[in-house]
Amino acid sequence: MPGNSFRKVYVIPCSGIGKMYGLLGREAVLKTVKELRPDKAATMCLALLVYGDDEARKEINGARCITVDGCPKLCAAKNVEQAGGVVVERVRAVDAFRNHRGVDAGTAAHLTAAGWQIADELAADLAGKVDRWYDASEEK
Amino acid sequence: MSEEGRLSVGLISCSGEACPGGTISRLATQKVLRSIRPGYNFVTICLPLFMAGGEEERNFARDYPTITIDGCEKCCALKATEALSGPVSGKVVVTDLIAKEDIGEGTLSIRELTGEQKAMVDHVAAAILEQVTKIKQEG
Repeated sequence: MPGNSFRKVYVIPCSGIGKMYGLLGREAVLKTVKELRPDKAATMCLALLVYGDDEARKEINGARCITVDGCPKLCAAKNVEQAGGVVVERVRAVDAFRNHRGVDAGTAAHLTAAGWQIADELAADLAGKVDRWYDASEEK
Repeated sequence: MSEEGRLSVGLISCSGEACPGGTISRLATQKVLRSIRPGYNFVTICLPLFMAGGEEERNFARDYPTITIDGCEKCCALKATEALSGPVSGKVVVTDLIAKEDIGEGTLSIRELTGEQKAMVDHVAAAILEQVTKIKQEG
């Protein structure tokens, strides 16, 4: 688990192992927390949180969270809320395809070059959202 | 239990967004899902969906042999499956197979996998298939 301060914004993807959207969302989140906003954002294993790990729940309780879901079941958004996180943005990976209709982005196991491009665009969008919520906390 | 003469086996991987073992467990699970194993029908289940109340998923894990694949010693997939659907037929824990210091720390994107980590994926996939064979042998 990355070391996190209370002010960090959590960006949490669904696990989404069965569909390409799950992988794309997950990779976008990893880029956001590792490369684009390592000082402002962190992630967490959704399953660990859902299973009720005390440490994970304590960490997320009251924290601002951006969830990224791969399917309409919105497991990440619902489960993070149930665990006590404050979901400030619900992002759906499918929405990143608005400007890429019909593109072959890959599979649940790998992304094509176009898929990586979309994942990077989604990551940039997530980074902007992280800035907004992190900075809002600074102002307070 | 079989479907069209094939043995259906459930594979439940941890989500593991925050640890490299999670990425390795997911990739190994995907590798087994894509592998050609005549006589087998592999099915995967999203763990948080399963845990959050997916009845279809829980029933599958109750009715068919299921293997959990965990990235770390917390074993979320194993614990959740046993709590919600009963004993599993097999389990694989990445940190039981590969030393933690060799796996690395932090999060792991699939685009930054090293050759060593790719070999770890193959190793874990082989361990999953060993469990599959064991299930078949035990009938």
